[in-house]
Amino acid sequence: MKINGVAIADTFAEAFTMRVARIVITGRTVKWAREAATKLTGFATSVIGCKCEAGIERELAAADTPDGRPGISVLFFTMDKQSLPEQLIVRLGQTVLTCPTTACFDGLPDVPDRLAIGKALRVFGDGFQASKVIGGKRYWRLPVMEGEFLVEETFGMLKGVGGGNFLILADDADAALAAAEAAVDAMTSLPGVILPFPGGVVRSGSKVGSKRYKSMVATTNDPFDPTLRAITESQLPDGVNSVLEIVLDGTDASSIEAAMRAGIPAACLPGVNAITAANFGGKLGPHHFHLRKILA
Amino acid sequence: MSDAVTLSLAEPPTQALIADCIAADRFAGLDAKAIAELPVVHGGRPGTLGEFFKVRGGHSSVVRIEGDLPQVEAIGAGMAGGELTIDGSVGRDLGLAMSGGRIDARSHAGDNVGGARPGAARGMTGGEIIVRGNVGDEAGARMRRGLVVVTGDAGRGTGQGMIAGTVVLLGKAGPGAGRFLKRGSIVALAPIDRPGTFRYACTYRPPHVGLLLRYLRGRAGAQIADRYMAGRYERYCGDLAELGKGEILQWAGE
Repeated sequence: MKINGVAIADTFAEAFTMRVARIVITGRTVKWAREAATKLTGFATSVIGCKCEAGIERELAAADTPDGRPGISVLFFTMDKQSLPEQLIVRLGQTVLTCPTTACFDGLPDVPDRLAIGKALRVFGDGFQASKVIGGKRYWRLPVMEGEFLVEETFGMLKGVGGGNFLILADDADAALAAAEAAVDAMTSLPGVILPFPGGVVRSGSKVGSKRYKSMVATTNDPFDPTLRAITESQLPDGVNSVLEIVLDGTDASSIEAAMRAGIPAACLPGVNAITAANFGGKLGPHHFHLRKILA
Repeated sequence: MSDAVTLSLAEPPTQALIADCIAADRFAGLDAKAIAELPVVHGGRPGTLGEFFKVRGGHSSVVRIEGDLPQVEAIGAGMAGGELTIDGSVGRDLGLAMSGGRIDARSHAGDNVGGARPGAARGMTGGEIIVRGNVGDEAGARMRRGLVVVTGDAGRGTGQGMIAGTVVLLGKAGPGAGRFLKRGSIVALAPIDRPGTFRYACTYRPPHVGLLLRYLRGRAGAQIADRYMAGRYERYCGDLAELGKGEILQWAGE
């Protein structure tokens, strides 16, 4: 299979099950909602080092938020159900609670599995906090120096999918970057998906474990490192001098498929040699995204 | 089982009719005949609901009452769920000590909306009441949880002795609103007399008020202007003669 002359490898991206919450942050202006969202999703690229993965899903118009103010939707992922509330309580408490004008709402209201995030954050109010039940949902009002911070008592938790991916194999670094940027543009704001790495792009794709250091859970993906082509079992075709990876986390497999369907063709630009994907022979996770099947 | 139970006023009461048998959740398990046989008290004498209302439908927790009922009291008393709509005005004790569900009165209501039974410490403990008109005295008095919305004017002692919950007043309030309030909120979109035991705290934009008013506009179709949603409110803490953790929030402009 080829798209715009770019070969699509007959392989699959291997992804694993994660736990996900959707956080809706509103603010007096979208600038302040985004400020909070940016801080909340900072240092959340990979569970390998950050214990969580997070990103901005999309911007919300005032008409689409609970309080009628502009907002930002954030997806937040962890590997297990215990660490999701732990991470959210710490991060929301330090980034959204602290941010002027913001309020924080659950973006998965119909999900039965609930996390008592607002209930935990309420104690910042030191006994001066108050709750309100509006439309059957409980909200906590925390007095702060600016006025009040409003946070929903519970947030829904779903089983999501982490680690969807594809690799852009290009003639040079400029072509790889241009293709990656085009792919990110095509996938940004699609519902149910985030690209947790900087600008949505990873330059340091990893393999599981290490050939040399026992303590390392992930090390450089040497079969795809062009500088190691001569000294490792390279999987790079001739002419490929730079590789970038797009990693996707989603609320479900279909969201990731839809994003890959949008992103891969957008990446098929001049200077791109092939599109492939990272997998571990089916040993890493149960979700397999076959590139050609998705694009067919 | 029907989509809704409809009670149509057939014989207007000549004296106070205590109809505390009318509660949406109770009707879910009854057919029309059983509903008509529910007991009422008319002028101190026992009777049945069917002597005054024509009953259509059954086995539904969605109830509609047709007719003007200023002498019918205690509709929705102790209601725990379901939806109850009243097309006309109603007498006192609407939603007395209710714990859940929604009551939508399309016209005026009498005293003690969402209030407590005589001698009881607590009024309503949950649910929502919206009155699209004026109410009498002591609306929301001693309420523990829940929401009372009055689109018109309220009488004396609105929210008196509230333990928690929220009263929203779109019109004017009589004297004594919030007196002896422990916790809870009275949100006033029009001028309101405050007891001297409330103290001004600040003027700000309370985020939950916008959320609440937006909910009321969407869910209940209440006519609430945008200026109230994002407006500034004066916060008065009180009643400082009590616990002092309650508040009166008075709209102060855009």
